[in-house]
Amino acid sequence: MKFSVKKLALCAVLAALALGLSTLENLFPVSLIVPLPGVKLGLANIVTVFALYELGAPEALAILVTRCLLGGLFSGTATALLFSLLGGLCAMGVMILLKRSRRLSVYGVSVGGAAAHNAGQILAAMITLGNTMVVGYLPFLLAVALITGTLTGFVVSLLLRATAHLHLTNQSDYR
Amino acid sequence: MKSNSSTVKTRPTPWDALVFAAVAALAVLTALVFYGPKARTNAPLTCVVSVGGEVMDHVPLASFAGEHTYSHNGYTLTVRVSGGQVEVLHSDCPGQDCVHSGPISRAGQSLVCLPAQVVIHLESGTDGPDVIVG
Ligand SMILES: [Zn+2]
Repeated sequence: MKFSVKKLALCAVLAALALGLSTLENLFPVSLIVPLPGVKLGLANIVTVFALYELGAPEALAILVTRCLLGGLFSGTATALLFSLLGGLCAMGVMILLKRSRRLSVYGVSVGGAAAHNAGQILAAMITLGNTMVVGYLPFLLAVALITGTLTGFVVSLLLRATAHLHLTNQSDYR
Repeated sequence: MKSNSSTVKTRPTPWDALVFAAVAALAVLTALVFYGPKARTNAPLTCVVSVGGEVMDHVPLASFAGEHTYSHNGYTLTVRVSGGQVEVLHSDCPGQDCVHSGPISRAGQSLVCLPAQVVIHLESGTDGPDVIVG
């Protein structure tokens, strides 16, 4: 695998985009539906899924960690960093596994990733609060994940088809 | 790197529905566990307040009326219990999420303040932590 300048530039752009998305989702606080502070919708997962398909797992991981660290730096709290990092890593782990199944489309991978993302955020809340009672929020957050996961799948499938002819990477493209 | 792109599916397959169903089933299952038949009964509620991971108060809601303050991590919360409801009246935490969560009054509900590490939880029954099965 060659980490070309083109690929590096693409990673930087995607990390910036992910950071923008995670800032944007502050406008739609999940806490209105699920009153667990710190929880985010996971719109930045769109970038993770796209990077996973278009670039590969190492690049997607680099983008994810960059986004979480910069986001944590801007918010200035260790709690925000823990929520985004645990949520993001859980989502990525599950999606790498699900993606191995050639039977699943982007949609199935995204929904599984969104569910893992929200479970990871519950885990972050448990660690932060030293309390297991917050697991009670899991059913609500899983229901939210069905919506955000499907939305993510939809957006990424559009992106993959739209960028197929651009030759973003040196891999064989989508036909 | 092997070119796996050519096999990428961008349209939903029946197998995606399986993932969707699995997540939905998990949501329903965990909902039943936490908010199942036992939680819906009119059993008296117990208010459990944990601060920094330690249980500070474990009191039947009916005999917990009044205002209580909890301090941790340099933040102070004022919690009001009245008429079977619990709410964070005011707090000096950043974000004020706990105050905006509004009152809770049913078993299984919680109020959370992340900066102060305070969790106020309502559980049904007056005897210790409940384990709800079925
Ligand atoms: Zn608070």
